[in-house]
Amino acid sequence: MANIYKPELVKVIATRQQTPDVKSVKVCFQDSGRANDFAFRVGQFGIFSAFGYGESTFNICSSSNWKDYLEFCFRKVGRVTEALWRLEEGDVIGFRGPYGNGYPVEDWKGKNLIFLGGGIAMPPIRCAIWYALENRRDFGDITIVYGARTVADLVYVDELDQWAQHPNVRVVRCVDPGGQTPDWKGEIGFVPHVFDRAGGSSANSIVLVIGPPIMIKNTLPILDRMGIPHRAVYTSLENRMKCGCGKCGRCNVGAFYICKEGPVLTMEDLERLPSDY
Amino acid sequence: MSFTITQDGLSKLVNEWLARGKRVAGPSRVKRDCILYVPLQGPDQLLLEDFIRPANSLKEFLFPKHERLFGYRINGNGVELFELEPPKTEQLLIAARPCDAAALPILDQVFNWDCADEFYNRRRQLTTVVTLACSAHDDACFCTSVGLSPCAERGSDVMLVKLDRGKYEVRCHTEKGRSLMEGRLEPSDQVASEPLGPEKRFDPAEVREFVKHNFASAFWQSEGLTCLGCGACAYTCPTCHCFDIIDEGNANEGARVRNWDSCQFSMFTQHASGHNPRENQPARQRQRISHKFDIYPEKFGEILCTGCGNCTRNCPVGIGALSVLTEIGHGEHL
Ligand SMILES: Cc1cc2nc3c(=O)[nH]c(=O)nc-3n(C[C@H](O)[C@H](O)[C@H](O)COP(=O)(O)OP(=O)(O)OC[C@H]3O[C@@H](n4cnc5c(N)ncnc54)[C@H](O)[C@@H]3O)c2cc1C
Ligand code: SF4
Ligand code: FES
Repeated sequence: MANIYKPELVKVIATRQQTPDVKSVKVCFQDSGRANDFAFRVGQFGIFSAFGYGESTFNICSSSNWKDYLEFCFRKVGRVTEALWRLEEGDVIGFRGPYGNGYPVEDWKGKNLIFLGGGIAMPPIRCAIWYALENRRDFGDITIVYGARTVADLVYVDELDQWAQHPNVRVVRCVDPGGQTPDWKGEIGFVPHVFDRAGGSSANSIVLVIGPPIMIKNTLPILDRMGIPHRAVYTSLENRMKCGCGKCGRCNVGAFYICKEGPVLTMEDLERLPSDY
Repeated sequence: MSFTITQDGLSKLVNEWLARGKRVAGPSRVKRDCILYVPLQGPDQLLLEDFIRPANSLKEFLFPKHERLFGYRINGNGVELFELEPPKTEQLLIAARPCDAAALPILDQVFNWDCADEFYNRRRQLTTVVTLACSAHDDACFCTSVGLSPCAERGSDVMLVKLDRGKYEVRCHTEKGRSLMEGRLEPSDQVASEPLGPEKRFDPAEVREFVKHNFASAFWQSEGLTCLGCGACAYTCPTCHCFDIIDEGNANEGARVRNWDSCQFSMFTQHASGHNPRENQPARQRQRISHKFDIYPEKFGEILCTGCGNCTRNCPVGIGALSVLTEIGHGEHL
């Protein structure tokens, strides 16, 4: 019987503690045939399970060009994430997916890209950044502004340096006021303000902004001032999910099922929906 | 000219199914004041007349309250997943209310858009639905407002319509229904009169217009404030289908299960960050009505409600969809 709720088994090949409460995990399919067939789009998500504890939804934060493994990165907040926190190399977990629409990267060709992320919102942006760098000729200038509450809360910090090495890529890192350490060399301030101060070209840009609702809210007026239309501004929603396939009735915003028609949508789309997110 | 069956004929049918190890479920008085659809041990438990409708719905026979999706076993680093009890028992749902049967084609769409839920589909294939046209209704019934009636055919394989006490006209709607009734019917000159339904109470198109344009209306506040968030409305609804998925077991073995859930529960949409898009009962009531009269229609072209009135009868604080819907219809929100 085809069982849409039964996950595939994946083996943990590496884990890494990113911050005091964030870890990233690399997994590969136990079935090597499946590992070769598996394809996804950056921006899609998976439902990961720790057997005995349950399932959790995370973005796939590795690039779709990487064939050896899938990566996800999570914050420890509850039952399932506590269990995943204890994972070690060689452990086996469950994976269902990929689900959701993903970023329309084909439509972004020829554009400048602006990535704005706050805190744990880095993973869903990271996959798009790597994808863009790996297809560098398809895109114009790349601006990345990434911030967290404190220096210790920044994830994938070493990659920020790697990204900055690429031509025409500007990486601005920041922490909230009070979150800096004595040797902090980045900016101090909230992501929207830091982005505003950093300036830069706005023409022909696509913006991907992911973070807490307040960050997105404060970013929009700046984008408006820059003249970036809301149809060029993308975000990814994190409504609570269970089934991932439009059945459990949990993730909808109006008639928009985030698990199927999202999680990625433009601000223009979002403004048409009831404010139920 | 019609075909009929007697109560004795129905009893015989029930006995035959049970004798073959199949399941039969129908309305039964489980306590003095409580009539439910339950699996029957024998035909004497089947209640055919003198009540409005069971307090639950048929959905639990296709989409159980608690269902094991697969099992897991862990040995060292290895994990084994295995199928558990895929549905395989044929079942007869007998003396079902037309408003319960009509919910099944509606649920079919949810469990099959995009990807197919084989747990639901298998049960559906194994199910034959015998409806009994309603000969009475109460103040909570509103099937006629949502395009149905006391003898609506939707979802019914065969319908019984009362002629005299203990005698029913039989109307076969599907092949399943015809083969079920083969050899059991008597020809008769009597034809049952169409039972009268409740008066129309509201227009679903108006409700839809209202919910589309009144997301922020104070109307929801006044409706939702008394709601206890108990979920009785959703659990007894023939069409509500939200579920939760959790693991039951320990670190060595167990099962992944799904349980009914409800948009009326406070944790239903709570994010891990603590942010909750639907923070209070008014927002949750709005979701329930919007889902039924706007969201589902937009997705599937029909209403997610069959007018059974269960949410109204079972609500401990007298809310229920009907009062909300009639208030919208009467412009009381304005
Ligand atoms: C599309 C999508 C992508 C996502 N991507 C990521 C990602 O890349 N990284 C990431 O870290 N997260 C991501 N999330 C969020 C992630 O799914 C949740 O953080 C995760 O599922 C939490 O699981 P948990 O079982 O550990 O928490 P749960 O045990 O479900 O608890 C989470 C929190 O909910 C509250 N809670 C739950 N149950 C109760 C209760 N009974 N009583 C009181 N409070 C309760 C508590 O505040 C608790 O801390 C994503 C979500 C979506 C929908
Ligand atoms: S039955 Fe009544 S009180 Fe309970 S959740 Fe539904 S509307 Fe609220
Ligand atoms: S997660 Fe179940 S409907 Fe979207």
